[in-house]
Amino acid sequence: MADATTTAEKVGSLLRTKRIIVCCGAGGVGKTTTAAALSLAAARAGRRVLVLTIDPSRRLAETLGVSRNPPEPVEVPRDRQAAAGISPPASLHAWMLDPKLVADDAVRRLTKSKEDAERVIGNRIYQQISGMVAGMHEYTAMEALYTLVNGGKYDLVVLDTPPSRHALDFLEAPRRLSRLVDSRALSHFLPRSDSMVARAASKVLQKILGAVFGDEFASEFIGFLMTFSSIFQELNVDVNTMRTFLSGPDVAFLLVTSPQPATLTEAHFFQDKTRELGLPFRGFVLNRSRARNVERRLPDAATDAAGGGPELASGLTKLRALAESELHLAKKDLALLHELEGRAGQQATALALPELPQGAGEMATLLEVADVLAAS
Amino acid sequence: MRAEAEVGCYGPRARPAGGPGLEGLPLDELVNKRVVLITGKGGVGRSVLTAALARLAARRSLRVLVTEVGDDPDDYSPLAHHFGLSRLPRSPERIAPGIQGTVLLARTGQELFLKSVLRSGTLARAALSSDALRRLLGAGPSFREMGVFFQLLTYLRATRADGPEYQLILIDMPATGHTLSLTGLPDLLLRLLPRGPIAEALREGQRYLNDPTLAAAWVVTLPEDLPVSECLELLEGLDKTKMPTGGVLMNRIPPDPFTPAERAALTPLVDAQNLLGKEQLARPLLADRAVKRLRAATPRTIYTLPELPPDGLVDALANALDKARPLPSSESP
Repeated sequence: MADATTTAEKVGSLLRTKRIIVCCGAGGVGKTTTAAALSLAAARAGRRVLVLTIDPSRRLAETLGVSRNPPEPVEVPRDRQAAAGISPPASLHAWMLDPKLVADDAVRRLTKSKEDAERVIGNRIYQQISGMVAGMHEYTAMEALYTLVNGGKYDLVVLDTPPSRHALDFLEAPRRLSRLVDSRALSHFLPRSDSMVARAASKVLQKILGAVFGDEFASEFIGFLMTFSSIFQELNVDVNTMRTFLSGPDVAFLLVTSPQPATLTEAHFFQDKTRELGLPFRGFVLNRSRARNVERRLPDAATDAAGGGPELASGLTKLRALAESELHLAKKDLALLHELEGRAGQQATALALPELPQGAGEMATLLEVADVLAAS
Repeated sequence: MRAEAEVGCYGPRARPAGGPGLEGLPLDELVNKRVVLITGKGGVGRSVLTAALARLAARRSLRVLVTEVGDDPDDYSPLAHHFGLSRLPRSPERIAPGIQGTVLLARTGQELFLKSVLRSGTLARAALSSDALRRLLGAGPSFREMGVFFQLLTYLRATRADGPEYQLILIDMPATGHTLSLTGLPDLLLRLLPRGPIAEALREGQRYLNDPTLAAAWVVTLPEDLPVSECLELLEGLDKTKMPTGGVLMNRIPPDPFTPAERAALTPLVDAQNLLGKEQLARPLLADRAVKRLRAATPRTIYTLPELPPDGLVDALANALDKARPLPSSESP
């Protein structure tokens, strides 16, 4: 929907000029589809594009014709690219990445020696938990993004953030991880030799860990923390480096959302949070919006039934009732879009995407969305 | 064959205290448990169905506790919204007639757990005021899920003179990944921690959660292509974590007011003119296809629920649930 009052860059322009687009959003709003459609649109506009997703759906992998969890980005088969209107030098790659592989890779890079790295990766505790540590998925996504953007192989990387209940988790989770390793938090768990007070405090904590985990696991766990503390320190630096990197002018953060009671609250928080973190918030994508339906004509029993049989007349009466409730919903969605536009201000844009038609081939659906994005 | 669908077979053991009028109704399998997880992707109507089930169970004089897994006590809560609140209380409180509600938070459960294992008041206080431990619990491996798990266990344990404090605990579960982390938690952590207080709590929790007479997960989905695929994936995932599944609640089945002749007469017109309402004409057919696909793909119990107007939705859904009958199995005529 065009809005004459804002001078903000439209999504169609963002996907032609930015180097990184980060799609944030709660689970179930169509974020992965939006990220895929954005990537298609940018590649169709002549750019070399990579779409990066974590924990992807089987379905998207099938649509794009790429495998899930490969060790590195995979090019979408050439015939599919051609069918989607992408021709060299433009290209579309996808990486549906496995957080465990990226985490292992990060450990290898961050440790000083090969032996250290293998000791960490071989650690029983690490093997069990690396996929489940809160923030690890988010961290690995940022890590991969950082590496790939700096690799220079792509003009644009579109990041589909990991599924979560909140759009903000992607920003918060790595911070939780870095808050843990930041400061002297960890050192309290380790045996200490400095002051008497510190020794006493660390003893109390070890006693608590023993009571909570059982003595056997507690000592193993402390061993694990000791092995990791040096890596965690490095990682902490990286979280900050990446935050700086993501606040650059080549980056756009989009909030993908859908018409629901919580949408406005979520949008508000997201905007505040990105502002607080100094991240370039550039727009709202309102998925599954029925706003455009206000432009469509209602069926009318009086005129449309002309020349038809009695079934057409009775059918039209029934359809009219359904169409009127559709119109009501469309007006509500339009009002929501206007509110988002108002909230987006001068720096950001707001765009409504229609409900995806069912039954069409998945690629056809994605291309339809891509066209709406590119034309915005 | 609908292996899990035998109605009423769990009845006698499920609720020691007993309640009136529970025999023979199809939905007994849904409410006649100690703990029911309502799962599914965002936007399928999980929260409103959780609220409707609570209402239904309360009508049958069960003492109900409705909960949801939260990340933050200040979160907007769609579940609380259905009870006229902006969020659920931090500890169980009455939120509607016969219904108590609370939010399951990692932090609350971790505190409960620490208090129960560190019997020494001094140690517990030291632990809870330790910034280091708090940070560890906030970021650490599965500690957040463990907190939620322990808080749930606390409510499952609670008793009063005439039986369990909460005869039915309903949980509005978060997105799929979190659901499976929680139901898979005991197995994962027990590999790491075979002994100690955490292991004991996990085993006790497993005795509830992995017992199909006491616990069930239901998957809420919509009659559309992608939600059906996701529902099947989730059922598979729940099986892997040994969580017993009750079945599927297929929500928002669109009404079909049209006769085949009316549809045939309307279709060319709405297509040619792109009339508003065109999608409504096609939706019942697509929904029917999705229902059939799900029916063919899983032997589990399936309930279908109609699309209802937003006003008075919770009560209307509770009524619909009360009257719902399982979809016949695919071999049936």
